[in-house]
Amino acid sequence: MYPPKFGYVIPESMDEVLEFLEKEQDARPLAGGHSLIPMLKLRIIRPSYLVNIRGLKELHFVNDGKDTVSIGALVTHFELNTNDIINKNVPLLSEAASVVADPQVRNMGTIGGVVSNSDPAADYPASLIALDAIVRIRNRGGVRDVPFSSFQKDVFTTDLKQGELVQEIVIPKLPAYKYRYRKLERRAGDYAIVGVAVLIKMNGEEIEDVRIGLTSVGPKAIRAKEAEELLKGNKPSDELLDKAGEEAMKVSNPTADIRGSVEYKKKMVKVMTKRALKEALER
Amino acid sequence: MKVYTQNDKVKIKLKVNGEEQEVEVEPRRLLVHVLRDLGYTGVHVGCDTSNCGACTVILNGKSVKSCTLLAVEADGSEILTIEGMAKDGKLHPIQEAFWEKHGLQCGYCTPGMILQAYWFLKHNQNPTEQEIREGISGNLCRCTGYQNIVEAIKLAAEKIRQNPQEYLRLA
Ligand SMILES: Cc1cc2nc3c(=O)[nH]c(=O)nc-3n(C[C@H](O)[C@H](O)[C@H](O)COP(=O)(O)OP(=O)(O)OC[C@H]3O[C@@H](n4cnc5c(N)ncnc54)[C@H](O)[C@@H]3O)c2cc1C
Ligand code: FES
Ligand code: FES
Repeated sequence: MYPPKFGYVIPESMDEVLEFLEKEQDARPLAGGHSLIPMLKLRIIRPSYLVNIRGLKELHFVNDGKDTVSIGALVTHFELNTNDIINKNVPLLSEAASVVADPQVRNMGTIGGVVSNSDPAADYPASLIALDAIVRIRNRGGVRDVPFSSFQKDVFTTDLKQGELVQEIVIPKLPAYKYRYRKLERRAGDYAIVGVAVLIKMNGEEIEDVRIGLTSVGPKAIRAKEAEELLKGNKPSDELLDKAGEEAMKVSNPTADIRGSVEYKKKMVKVMTKRALKEALER
Repeated sequence: MKVYTQNDKVKIKLKVNGEEQEVEVEPRRLLVHVLRDLGYTGVHVGCDTSNCGACTVILNGKSVKSCTLLAVEADGSEILTIEGMAKDGKLHPIQEAFWEKHGLQCGYCTPGMILQAYWFLKHNQNPTEQEIREGISGNLCRCTGYQNIVEAIKLAAEKIRQNPQEYLRLA
């Protein structure tokens, strides 16, 4: 399989990238290329130019702020999994990074690429929506911040406009929360059949706060709000976790594909939500 | 800023197994094809869909699937392929271990397996069996059932621990 013909741009600065992307209709930034190149080979897309942004240092950083951690768009899955700041402050995302694809893909793929691509089966969205992450977008005018929940619009569709780049993902620190990312996959390295991210804050025996993010079970990642409400203020029990799983299942909206039927996937939302909650509580 | 149109050829430089190479490529050329055309035919194309790992090479110290990389992206980089593992007629310890433990049958997946094992062992010289299995989860083998590959990587880890500086300096 060969990609179709396209032009290629090696920029020297962020300004050049933004300017080029703004004026050139079908140009696309190239980050890790691990969604882009497979799509080119399948001839699903036909960009006019690829603009290689990999050399932009301004997009490759992890900043430890007072209340937030900022992750540059070019940080790879491998780096997310092994970076000390992320491990310490956003362990949920490090855990998710460890199960994205396989080691070689993790050496190339970037968080900015995942977020911009908005593949409904991607792993990070479950965690990003549970963490209330902010997407910081860069354009010629400056930056604008959009909550991840409204940044993702639909299948492969985001709030990005022509001439814009994802610059970084800003994540609030949640030190008191237990966490778990649970991925059900058909074979090692595959996309998730169901992905569930949970964050739980306890107050003594009771659940004070809980966030449940679901991915791969609808056009975009969602929060299982009803399940969260059911759990809040209560003492966790097997029965309660079962009910929460049931509520999460009700809001899921998967489609049938080679990885399973709608019925199977919905049932798995229930099972994986319960497991994720249980495993977070055991931490 | 350099702008190449779709019909332009881009001149790129690669250092493959220590050998300087200069080629002109279309922007759409994949790294795997360029390497094979240069004679590094140990870089295999298995699936062509980023799944099997037969095309794995070490690029600037990281294992990557060369079927999912444009050659132009690799401009200026150092690459290690299976052809660069043996030195002065002596196999690399990972190659020896694959031989001794029968870590291959048809051999199609083997260059990719060995290069992925190389990258993995660079990061972890005392791996558990589970870690080895996860470490090669991006490499498929249709023959061996993986058991002897895992045994080979265990043995390779032992060999490498004796002299990591020497054995892990290739890339
Ligand atoms: C075999 C295989 C298995 C995989 N399995 C999984 C999996 O289990 N889970 C999972 O989550 N993902 C999986 N992926 C996808 C992988 O994580 C990709 O790396 C990721 O989706 C895209 O990141 P990238 O850096 O490679 O982006 P690219 O492919 O470079 O770009 C993807 C899209 O985003 C745009 N883009 C990239 N960066 C920016 C930016 N900063 N601003 C604006 N637009 C941008 C590009 O123009 C393109 O349209 C898999 C990929 C492969 C090849
Ligand atoms: S040929 Fe590259 S992963 Fe299979
Ligand atoms: S030995 Fe034949 S594919 Fe692995």
